[in-house]
Amino acid sequence: MAFNLTSDIHNGVVRITLSGELDASVAGQFKTAVEQAAVAQPKSLALLVSDLSYMSSAGLRALVFAKQKMGASIRIFVVGAQETVQETIEMTGFSHSVVMLESYDAAQIEA
Amino acid sequence: MDTENLTVPGNLDSLKAVREFVKRATGSAGIDKQRAYKLTLAVDEILANIVIHGYDEAGRSGDVEISYHVEEDRLRVDLYDCGIPYDPTQNDTPAHLDKQLEDRPIGGLGVYLARQGTDDFIYEFVNDRNHNTFIVNRAANGS
Repeated sequence: MAFNLTSDIHNGVVRITLSGELDASVAGQFKTAVEQAAVAQPKSLALLVSDLSYMSSAGLRALVFAKQKMGASIRIFVVGAQETVQETIEMTGFSHSVVMLESYDAAQIEA
Repeated sequence: MDTENLTVPGNLDSLKAVREFVKRATGSAGIDKQRAYKLTLAVDEILANIVIHGYDEAGRSGDVEISYHVEEDRLRVDLYDCGIPYDPTQNDTPAHLDKQLEDRPIGGLGVYLARQGTDDFIYEFVNDRNHNTFIVNRAANGS
């Protein structure tokens, strides 16, 4: 499935929905979306990834970029990650820096 | 012995075709889904490095050849390119995996994932070409 990205801002949270396969050839789109999101100075960034079937380290680097761009205090939620994508996030230690949720928990994310 | 070859241009648009190729390889070798994903990730990471660092940043262009061989007890995937010589097996495991994101350098993750996704990961430079070999044992080893 081709990579697709949509984003919106809701209650101070930038929500980026990623689907398909996120590799180095499309990571620039994700990075651009993060840059645009940073302008809104959101309190949280929620990545909705239940339809993301593949993510390489190019996607992880965009997360590093998000923290650097939005400031260390930004909370990043990864929502609905498939097992393989979740394992990559855990194996690389990124799970120390993001909150992994099975489903969108507005009370926690939009708090 | 089941085998297949593919030559693709050394650019990022080739990543998807190579992932499909690796999926055929793991399907042919009967590798389970989780380990197949990890091998696909391993090859994808190294190919992205070849295109970005070996070709683009070095001002070079060229093809990448990939082949797979299903052997009795293992699957072997070979990647050949004419980019600048680079030995990813000499890349140390990143020492910052437990650091917060904002304190981490960007880089080194791809090679780390390549090593994690294979039972053996071998590099050699032969006849002016980089040759990366990815090996996965066919019998699930529980890792």
